[in-house]
Amino acid sequence: MRRIRKHSDDNAKLMKDLRSWLIMLPGLILMAFFVWEPLLESIRMSLFKTENVELVEFIGLKNFISVIGKANFTQALINTFAYTFWSLVIGFLLPVILAMLIGETARGKGIFRTAAYLPNMLPGLAVIILWSAFFSGGKTGVLNILLGNLGIPTQTYLTKANLVIPIIITIATWKGAGATALIYMAGMAGVNTELYEAAAIDGAGVWKRVRHILIPAIKKLAGTMLILQIISVFQIMYEPMVLTKGGPDNASLSLMQLMWQYAFGGSMDYGKASAVAVIVTAILLLMTAIYSYFNRKESDWD
Amino acid sequence: MRKKIIERTGVIRDYDLHSGSVRFWYAAIYVLCAIMAVFAVFPLVWVVLAGFKDLKEFMSSTSIMPKNFSPAQFVKTWSQLGLAKNYLNSFISVAGSVVCALLFNGLLGYGLAILKPRGYGVVKKMIMFSLLVPATISIVPLFMNIQRLGMGNSFWPLWLSYGANAMYVVLFIQFFESLPKSMIEASRIDGCSALQTFFRIVMPLSKPICAVITIFAINASWSDFLLPYLVLRGGSKQTVMVRLFVFSTEQTVNADTMMRSVVFSMIPPIILFVLFQKQLTQNNVSAGIKG
Repeated sequence: MRRIRKHSDDNAKLMKDLRSWLIMLPGLILMAFFVWEPLLESIRMSLFKTENVELVEFIGLKNFISVIGKANFTQALINTFAYTFWSLVIGFLLPVILAMLIGETARGKGIFRTAAYLPNMLPGLAVIILWSAFFSGGKTGVLNILLGNLGIPTQTYLTKANLVIPIIITIATWKGAGATALIYMAGMAGVNTELYEAAAIDGAGVWKRVRHILIPAIKKLAGTMLILQIISVFQIMYEPMVLTKGGPDNASLSLMQLMWQYAFGGSMDYGKASAVAVIVTAILLLMTAIYSYFNRKESDWD
Repeated sequence: MRKKIIERTGVIRDYDLHSGSVRFWYAAIYVLCAIMAVFAVFPLVWVVLAGFKDLKEFMSSTSIMPKNFSPAQFVKTWSQLGLAKNYLNSFISVAGSVVCALLFNGLLGYGLAILKPRGYGVVKKMIMFSLLVPATISIVPLFMNIQRLGMGNSFWPLWLSYGANAMYVVLFIQFFESLPKSMIEASRIDGCSALQTFFRIVMPLSKPICAVITIFAINASWSDFLLPYLVLRGGSKQTVMVRLFVFSTEQTVNADTMMRSVVFSMIPPIILFVLFQKQLTQNNVSAGIKG
């Protein structure tokens, strides 16, 4: 008796599950078409010689060997790490500091938040083109005009190999730092202000309260933001593409840009482009794994 | 005694301001915030001012201010480049993207957060994993798939790509999980099918998250240009951003025209920002996604 009932329950549950999967099906097909299949296809394509959209011949790791063997790959790899390094130097602490500063204001907080967030709404491409006029080398470059008022002579910026990556990172930071600051502000808002009051009664000055209450409160968030920032900077592509075309002399060429060049830069070598994509994905996943390993350790320790 | 108008939520409390040195630093904080605000807004003001200059003035003037504020240059650029057509294309692209973003990600999120059929955990894990992998990384095979299906020079792949956004799915899941279970159960008892429950109960209850995702899908699809460039290049359906990308890579327009095109490309996002700045800057969820 019980068995039969269980059986019909199972059937009803099966039908319900089927209907649920049917509801999710359109979304799943789209995820598969736009995200999952292309990711696997990248791996497959990286092992093939390609001609236009056809996979011609399985060639094992030859695409990888040929891509890695070229000088522009080494350069792009070093550059991509340089982008990451500079983005941490210029762009990691800035949002935290902005959040702390805006968080302390009472009057005008709304205006500061709005101003901080505004650049993030602007189209990335438009931002890059806008800033290219700022850093343009002649006497009409905006930065040169501004510095000229201070008596500093006209400079060139985007043609200097050692300046070009920090400049691109500065532009990216201008666009993103305010929005990141708002995320930190949301984290800081989680601190009960009574904690500050209690600490003050115990004689803790403002700086001590920042160090022992505010900073510990956002430490974990900062760790997450760090890995998100690394992931997003590591795939930097259109910024150097538009601003410098990877120049001067490949000094700002990024890995993703190299991928784009192989695929759409005239040679249509989709196999080699995929090899670069697979390498970038592997590095990203490795970094994420390292992060979550340390993160787990830290939370065990807490 | 004291009238407390605005609540102080920071580390510095009201009584700290009795100390002279804290007062000094507090003033310094305001100065720094003001500098930040100027720094954030100035480039925008500049590009609009630059738009008023003709080519000769743009290439020779060492002043930030234009000689005159006649809109003639903007009108000329608008009609010369035929931007009205591109604007229309962008709006079509944005509209379809928003519909797809809400419908497909919403349904997927509904399945993963509420219906939870057997095996849903695997899909949820795959969605979370997709968050880690940047979208542009597989743009090459994606483009090839689109070519193979003959969907080049069409809005369809662009629209549908917004129906496959792991971030939006996760946002839907988080919001749906916070909905009162009783209301969903009640609608099922009243005889609504799972799909009817989604459209009649779940989505109407989820207006806040739908608003956030709508704003972000509008902004993202307006600003998007890599996939749109690959799909639409050379055709009659090019969006504003695709045109701008072509200008910048092929250098087919003069520097002054370029700056005006930049201004035109920024107008809709700025209008969106002005309309929804409260939701954008005071909502933790929306602050969590960066454009």
